[in-house]
Amino acid sequence: MVIELLTKRYPGMRAWLMQRLTALIMAFYSVMLLGRILVLQPATYEEFLGFFQPAWFRIASWLFWICLSIHAWLGIRDVFKDYVPNMYVRSLLLKILVLLLWVYMAWASWLFLM
Amino acid sequence: MKFSIYRFNPDVDKKPYMQDYDVVLEDGDQMLLDALLRIKDLDDSLSLRKSCREGVCGSDSMNINGKNGLACVTKLSDLDEPVVLRPMPGLPVIRDLVVDMTQFFEHYNSVKPYLINHDAPPETERLQSPEDRAKLDGLYECILCGACTTSCPSFWWNPETFVGPAGLMQAYRFMADSRDQAMDERLENLEAPDRLYRCHNIMNCVDVCPKKLNPSLAIAKIKDLKFEQAREHKCNAKKHIEIKVL
Repeated sequence: MVIELLTKRYPGMRAWLMQRLTALIMAFYSVMLLGRILVLQPATYEEFLGFFQPAWFRIASWLFWICLSIHAWLGIRDVFKDYVPNMYVRSLLLKILVLLLWVYMAWASWLFLM
Repeated sequence: MKFSIYRFNPDVDKKPYMQDYDVVLEDGDQMLLDALLRIKDLDDSLSLRKSCREGVCGSDSMNINGKNGLACVTKLSDLDEPVVLRPMPGLPVIRDLVVDMTQFFEHYNSVKPYLINHDAPPETERLQSPEDRAKLDGLYECILCGACTTSCPSFWWNPETFVGPAGLMQAYRFMADSRDQAMDERLENLEAPDRLYRCHNIMNCVDVCPKKLNPSLAIAKIKDLKFEQAREHKCNAKKHIEIKVL
């Protein structure tokens, strides 16, 4: 049912639901990250490298970043819709936002998956 | 009692200004509308809408000390002086406290605020169970004063696309009506990204409603109905596949 609501048939609900689903995943990851930090207590650079070493954790961090990018896209797009009435300026800002998010996404992919 | 009232006559004034009034009230003047009528006796150039004077017609909605409300049900004893009165925000001013509500009613009309039932009319009225009738409580009481919609920042930001709390609550009022047969059509009508989903749950609408209604809850219930609609579509699709396989 949730998958159905994420299809093009529901353009309004899709964005609304996606924002909440990504928020849920990020909240789950944040709790897990905090728990891991409290348990392992990495203090040095080498310990932090080790902290991000397990493949499952790097994939989880990468998925977190995907969710963050989608969430940021939907949220900032809303802010631009509300506060930037000029269509040309809004369109330019949205393009810059997309470019920025893709750059961050590529960087995160390189950090977590390479 | 001291008042500061927004004045603007587009035929004469280049820009709006605030005019101060000091009015002597008489016994029996209890509501803001009573005071406004005293002021109108002193200065008949002041324009405002009014009709029923008991919170039923919704004509005299205005911004009272920064918060939208109805002049006829606002007690003078509850107001700090000077009482600052402005027209409802977000709509074009026709004159003084009178706003052009065309856009508000266009949004209201866009949700088809009437019963859609394709069955032949029965001999008597279309009956409802007491339980089904109770589902309309808190929805049908809306008097369309516009206080909620014009206090909604999402409406200020997107007045052309966002239906606004009053229109959305009326959309839900007919979705919740057991006699209505156009649920899918009504939900599809609100599916465009900016018609329903510009609501950010700021809840100014709930804060200002003079009838103490909750448009925010109605908007949340429309989203619940979306989920139900998707579930039904999935069930129907499954049935369709099963029939094909058979």
